[in-house]
Amino acid sequence: MSDNKLQIIHYLNQYFIGEGGENKADMSPCIQKGPVGLGRAMQKSLDSNSAEIVATISCGDNYFAERIEESTSVLMDMINSYKPDALIAGPAFNAGRYGIACGTLCKAMQDRFDIPVITGMSVENPSVDLFRETMYIVETGDTVKGIETVIPKMIGILMKLINKQEIGRSSEEGYFPRGPIINQQSERTGAERAVTMLLNKLSGVTFKSEVLAPKYDYVPPSHRVEALSKALIALVTDGGLVPKGNPDNIESRGATHFGLYSLSGLDSLPTDVYEINHTGYDPTLVLQDPNRLVPLDITRELEKQGVIGGLHETLYSTAGAVGILENEIRMGRELGKLLKEHGISGVILTST
Amino acid sequence: MKLELNIHEVKNVNLAVETNYSSNILSVDHNELRELLLNDKRFSSIEIELVHPGESCRILRVSDVIEPRAKIEGSEDFPGALSQSGSAGYGKTCVLKGVAVVLSDYTEEGRFGRDLDGELIDMSGLGGDLSPYSKTHNIVIVPYPAEGVSKNEYRAALKFAGLKAAVYLAKTAINCVPDTTEIFELPALTELAGSTSGLPKIAYIFQVLSTQHGVVPGEPVLYGQNIELIAPTILHPNEVIDGAITCPYRAFCGQTYTIQNHPIIKELYRRHGSEICFAGVIICTAHHNEPEFERTASIASNLAKWVIGADGVILTKTGGGAPEIPLGRTAQKCEELGVQTAIAMLHMSADPTYTKFDYSINFNLPRVNAIVSMGSPNMPFVLPPMERIIGRSALQDANSRDKQTILMWIKGACSQLGESRITLVPY
Repeated sequence: MSDNKLQIIHYLNQYFIGEGGENKADMSPCIQKGPVGLGRAMQKSLDSNSAEIVATISCGDNYFAERIEESTSVLMDMINSYKPDALIAGPAFNAGRYGIACGTLCKAMQDRFDIPVITGMSVENPSVDLFRETMYIVETGDTVKGIETVIPKMIGILMKLINKQEIGRSSEEGYFPRGPIINQQSERTGAERAVTMLLNKLSGVTFKSEVLAPKYDYVPPSHRVEALSKALIALVTDGGLVPKGNPDNIESRGATHFGLYSLSGLDSLPTDVYEINHTGYDPTLVLQDPNRLVPLDITRELEKQGVIGGLHETLYSTAGAVGILENEIRMGRELGKLLKEHGISGVILTST
Repeated sequence: MKLELNIHEVKNVNLAVETNYSSNILSVDHNELRELLLNDKRFSSIEIELVHPGESCRILRVSDVIEPRAKIEGSEDFPGALSQSGSAGYGKTCVLKGVAVVLSDYTEEGRFGRDLDGELIDMSGLGGDLSPYSKTHNIVIVPYPAEGVSKNEYRAALKFAGLKAAVYLAKTAINCVPDTTEIFELPALTELAGSTSGLPKIAYIFQVLSTQHGVVPGEPVLYGQNIELIAPTILHPNEVIDGAITCPYRAFCGQTYTIQNHPIIKELYRRHGSEICFAGVIICTAHHNEPEFERTASIASNLAKWVIGADGVILTKTGGGAPEIPLGRTAQKCEELGVQTAIAMLHMSADPTYTKFDYSINFNLPRVNAIVSMGSPNMPFVLPPMERIIGRSALQDANSRDKQTILMWIKGACSQLGESRITLVPY
């Protein structure tokens, strides 16, 4: 080992150091000198960079997942005895517990010793969403197949991090996007790229969409309201109805919160008291009669007739325009909790 | 159908006592132009301003930009809008390149989170770098509404004024020898299919109007009529670029100028005969109610599959985020029929200031998986003050203030029709 070489530690699970599969998943943390298994292929890629895998650390997947803090601490001590320049973890491919170990270890090294880290996972690995914002995770296949294209990407990014060079676009470097999005100039116009993408799709050539579809949670429907005549009903809208002057500063686009407005003593929503603060639709009809958006008038009638048990006296209102999905999920959860605390069993949610 | 564009590269524009065109210089008698436009009794008075590239000038409340064009022979100037009858797309059209008619809307209000001064064009500085309309000599028309004229009446009149001005200016060059000519020719589909056999047949589904913010009654969009209630229909691409379609109010990131130079149509023409067979254009409206957009998606996809016989379609959208749903549904129905799709669109719901969030769109449809990003229109900018302000400003001292805005309100800076090179890149 020459002194001027970069010293790198590699983490592999019990399977990839050749100990065995599930039957060895309880293996406690261990360390051996030099590269092992996939580490040898990594080393080949590191040779030209004057970098060396000085040790390979390992742990059984179950052992790690069941004792995350303890395993991390033990492994960190092992790593730190080498005072390394960087950590490579995995890749973990589609293995869930292995992914947690790789992500946790990389994050700990980054946080505590501020050294460059790199790992790899498949798109299906749940740890991608847990860790991609804090580190570079190279996209791999589900299994070791295709590893020969993954290793150069991992080593390439790692060397750039060590040398403090700029990391390129996620699509070019092969990592999972970490969050930042930047408008940039393409070499070709949108029209040229769209026609090229269509022709590639038609002829079966690989193409990469520049826009990824959102991932929607599956929300199981709530059980039905058992006895409507006893149910407390709330009115909720994302149509941007606010008192004039918008006292709660609900954003007209990309809203981050709900406004709470009292319905107490009102049989219907009067005109000239509210305004519509929403960039996404023509509010003319709502301004003529706000009950078209928030049906207070008819709901009060149903309350008086005893069709519903009661009307919750607060309106929850926000603007559902140019919404950021993450914000909306959070707002939905907060609102759901609030409604439940008030003992509300049904909601009339009007959207525009 | 064959269309020849006779293109004149205008080197300079000046105000003069007589309107004419000679040696690539356009002279404009703005008093004569004003009189012509004041024939419309919906205006009380009109200001006409001339601005040049590089000037310290900001144009406010820009509602549309139009390229000066006039028919030399064949079809009519903006038929249906400027003439009772007539057609578009064939014969010869005179084009003044490097000049634009810019409309400034006196009635525009900055409500619903929109900028108080509407959309703008800066002729220099950062805003100038971002917009193609800082590179054109602009004849800016700022009409004032006559008493008792409603906003919608005024806005329809504004569009007519722009079209009239565009024709008035281009008529000067009708008898001049053009600098270049461009030919756009496509025969009927039955002939086309034979001559380009073996090439993939590609159609374009063009969402022209969004109903989400209401429409302006009486505003010309397709052959002089608004298209709130149309079913999808097939047009010859030449009709689209030769004045049959003008840009509706609040299209967002779209102008009549872009439709006249339609980037997708020009790109499909460019590849026609070598890589593809350009099989036609289907136009449609983006409705905001489900039964209406389902009907549109069904008709448009059936036209693509069973009438045009397309192998693939390109789709674009207009308006804000709501038209993404009809766009996605139309693409999905095409895919279900075996017509493959690619979309070019703006990233409406991506906010570059929230870096920890995913950028996203309003649909997740399995086979609608080829989407070109034309950038986030929400990217914030601070523009330096401009000495000269044209158009009604909400501020007294607009010429001494920085202007905070977003990309979307800089006219022409981002495009819904594939014109710009901007793309949103995840890191």
